[in-house]
Parts: sequence; C-alpha cells; structure tokens
Amino acid sequence: MRIQVNARNRGYEFEARPGEKLLYAGLRAGIDLPYECGTGTCGTCKAKLVAGRVHDGWPAAPGRKHVKPEAGEFLMCQCAAEDALTAEVSKFVYAMEPGSCTPEACAGVLRGTRRLAHDVLAFGIELEQPRDFDAGQFVVLAAPGVPGYRAYSMCNFERGAQRLEFVLKRKPDGGFSQWLHEAGRDGDRLQLFGPLGKATFDPALAKNLLCIAGGSGIAGMMAILARAAQERYFERHRGWVFFGVRTLRDAFFLGELSACAASVKVTVALSDEDVPESASRSWPQLAFVRGLVHEAARDAMVGKYQNVRAYAAGPPPAVDAAIRMLLLEAKLTTDNIRYDKFS
Amino acid sequence: MCRVADVPENGLKECEAEGGLKLVVANAGGEFFGFQAVCPHQDVPLCEGLFDGATLTCHMHLWQWDVRSGAPLGLAEAPLQRYALAVEGGSLYLGGDATALDVGELFNGIAAGTIEALAALVRRESYEPGAVLYRPGDPADDIFVLDSGRVEFLIGRGEHTAPGGFMLNKGEVFGWAALLDGYPTRIASARCLEASTLLRVNGKAALGVLERDPSAGFVVMRRLAALIARYLASSGAR
Repeated sequence: MRIQVNARNRGYEFEARPGEKLLYAGLRAGIDLPYECGTGTCGTCKAKLVAGRVHDGWPAAPGRKHVKPEAGEFLMCQCAAEDALTAEVSKFVYAMEPGSCTPEACAGVLRGTRRLAHDVLAFGIELEQPRDFDAGQFVVLAAPGVPGYRAYSMCNFERGAQRLEFVLKRKPDGGFSQWLHEAGRDGDRLQLFGPLGKATFDPALAKNLLCIAGGSGIAGMMAILARAAQERYFERHRGWVFFGVRTLRDAFFLGELSACAASVKVTVALSDEDVPESASRSWPQLAFVRGLVHEAARDAMVGKYQNVRAYAAGPPPAVDAAIRMLLLEAKLTTDNIRYDKFS
Repeated sequence: MCRVADVPENGLKECEAEGGLKLVVANAGGEFFGFQAVCPHQDVPLCEGLFDGATLTCHMHLWQWDVRSGAPLGLAEAPLQRYALAVEGGSLYLGGDATALDVGELFNGIAAGTIEALAALVRRESYEPGAVLYRPGDPADDIFVLDSGRVEFLIGRGEHTAPGGFMLNKGEVFGWAALLDGYPTRIASARCLEASTLLRVNGKAALGVLERDPSAGFVVMRRLAALIARYLASSGAR
C-alpha cells in the first residue's frame, strides 16, 4: 500500500505491508520518522490523517493521551493503513544517514534465559538473519500470545550479530515480563523490529564517556562499553559508569563491570541502604556510595566535564534527574546528552 | 497575572492572564520574560522545564530557547511565542503582543530601529483557505512572514509535483528567493490551507534596510543560510 507522509520540510512516499504499523514501514524505508519508544507510550510518533483510513491496533495505548482523535491524529507506532493513505507529521523529517543501521522486522528464538538478580532476568535471542546495530540501540519485541511490542536495549555489541542479549526487570503489570518469567520459554519464537534509538555510541566520537544508568538502564551501557573495549577506546579517552540500584541485592553485572574497571571508573549507587561492608570485599574494583545515581555522578564528576558525552538510561525519574543535573550543573550542551525514554 | 515575588530568581512559573491566556514567565536575574505556556513540539508545560537564567529548556526532548528573544537554540525546531510583560506595583501584567516580525526566525533580536524600518515595509494581507500566493515561474519579489494560519508548498508543475512541506508557526518565513541574487522566479507553489494572515515584505527593499545596518544584515543572512540548510540537508548530527 502506498503511504505518503508530508513533513514540515518535504513529503515522503513508501510502501507498507498489510497490517504493518506505519512507523515501522517508514523506518524500514529509511525515512527517519519521529519516534522515541516505538511502543505506544511516549506519543512522539503522532501524525494526522489527511486522506485514507487507519486501523488502530491499540486504542488504549498510554501515548494516546497526546493525540486528538477528533482532529484525525493517531500514533504511527500503533496504526496500520487500511488502504493507500496520506498523513502529516508536524516535524522536520530527513532520510536516515547513509551507513546507518536501517531497522527491519525479523524473528528469532529465545535462548539462555537466566536470573541475574531476584527480579532481573537476562535473555538472548538467536536471530534468523544476522543484523547490524549501533551500541546503545534497542529493539521492540513481541511474544506469542502477548499483545503489543516492548522495547529492550541490547547489552552486547557486534557487527552482523547472530545473537542479541537483553536484561528484563520483573514488572507486576508487564505482559511480556510476566510471560518471560514463566519457566520453559527458551525455544519460543519472538517477533522483533529494530534496531531503534538514537542514544548511540560510535568510537569516532572521540570524547570521554559518562554513563548514568538506573536499574535495567545499564543494558545499553554494557553495549557501549563492549563497543569501546573492542576499539581500545579507553586507551585514548576516559570513562565513568554510574549504576544506580535500590540495594546491593538488586545489583547485577557487577562481575562484567569489574572486568571493565581497569579502564573505566565504575560507581554503584545504592539509593535505599547504606553500603554493606561486604560490597567492596566482594567487588574490590568497584566504588560503592549511598544515594541516587545522578547525585553520585554529580559528586564524583565535579571539574571533569571537558570533552564529555553523557548517556542516561533507566526509569524516567532517574533519567530526568540526570538530564537536569547534566544541563544545569554540568553545563553540557544538549547534543552531548543522549538518552532514549521508552519505559 | 501574578506577583513578581511568585517567580523565583532564575526560575519559571505558569501564569494565567485575563481572558484565560496561559503564559510561562521566566525571571532572568530580575528581568521578566513571557512565553507561550507549552512547548511548540508536543504541548509539554514549559514551567516544568529547566532554566538557568539565560536558556529555557523543555525537559521532554531538550528543545531550547534564548529567554531574551524566544529564538530556537540547539535541537529546537520552532521559536517560542513571546509576550511583552509589564511590572507595576510588584505585579506582572500582560503587555502588547509581539508582532510576527519581532518573533520571526529571521529578524528577532535585531536592533529596534532596523525592525521598525522593516515593519514600515510590511503589507499585512489576509487570505481565505485555498488562496494561492504564488506559482512556479511567478516573479520572486517578496518574502512572507506567517502571522497566523497555515501555508503549504508544492514543488514542480502540473502532474509532476511533490509536497514541499508546510509552515504553521507565527514568525516562520518563506519565499526566501526574494532575498537571494539569481533566483528571480518561484520554484514552488504556496497555498493557504487555512484562513491565513501574512506579512509581505519586498525583498529588495528589505535588503536595502539591512545594508544600512550591516550587523543586523549579517545576523539575518546567517539565519537565512541555516534555514535553507535545514530544508535541504539530511539529518546530520540530529
């Protein structure tokens, strides 16, 4: 089906498959349509119908609070075209840069689900076709019988990846989270779309890296660290990782982070308990402090913001607090603060 | 609207003027600036944003503006609508509306005398929905500043046309060819999608004003270059 999207600066035409979400169809065609979560939460992919009809796959999506249906507005990540369609996006839209990893729909098999902490699982997906992605990107996943997609950042990094690795925190109301926490899911086939997200790291950046992550937000940071390690990036640049969790019991990846600690300074911030004595005994390469993760970063980073690119990820309040600190206190420019808000 | 003391130093506060108009008021070291209350991007309340006394930032996608002019900075794709404020007896009152020329992406913040000279060239015109402002091949004599409404562009002629974007924010400028040498005719058509009010300014006359104030002319030409690049360029570092 022929889709036309009129943006502030020009119009674009692309093909959509029957039932395919308009956002995914446009991204697949290399058109950098606006989005953030890609899963119906943020409202960033709002568009307005000019001609044609859409089928809304999830009329109760939280992101619908940002749209006015009576004005023909809809979320491109949730709606498919019923026939040829023209829509309008009130933003400047550009073609993706040559060489960027164009997102595609694909499928893969769940493998290697294991527990990282009492309410955190690691899981992997063996892809049916190898895919390229940038460090810090995410994909959206759909499980059999669970409606809708959920966004998860890759923890690993390689070109032509055959396997994607993720972490997942248990959420009492999360359909996908509940589904995965049930035993015996390995071997099930999942649908994916991606890679997505602009909080990416490329070694050509040539800046010192500051990573501020709360909880499962550490996932994308692990990919960034993996990418940097492959290029021996930290022989030329400095790096700091601040990882916030409630208590030591909620922490994970401390072994992996200890392995990076020769080249990167890693601080674990515990918001809900004093640092147990056992912490530094068990993880001597890591620093532990009590407090919120953005406060830990603020205290440790004074005077170190020259030539810094910051990444923030995690629960929205943690990301917002980190951004506020990075803009107002660290005085970083907005192009040096990267984050994706999708939870 | 509100008490001066209610707006913290280098802070923000949302206020409501008589008639229900909502503004965000910024206190920049004791000077007060009023803007539209919500971000032009996604209707996020700007009073929840970040303000350091000079730059206003929407916390949602980090769009930023210069607090003195409302001009977009960094990632922002649109200016903020600015409102004049008056302080009387410890209270803030809404002053007059800034004109599209004042808030416009090309001219905001240049010397008052030069803005006045440009304003003297303005012909204010109202159009019905569907009105065509120009077609390909028409002489490109005038630039237009959008005051209200919405204008759409089509590139090409006859059956070979492609959408060329649209303008919807007060202060947006189009018909730039009138400011350029060597582009005497239009390459697109411009049509009002809604009832629209436009400020029409003769390009040669505007250049004459800017030649008498070269520092303003330099600013305008830098902004014009950035504007054209925004329409031509790929996403770059965005």
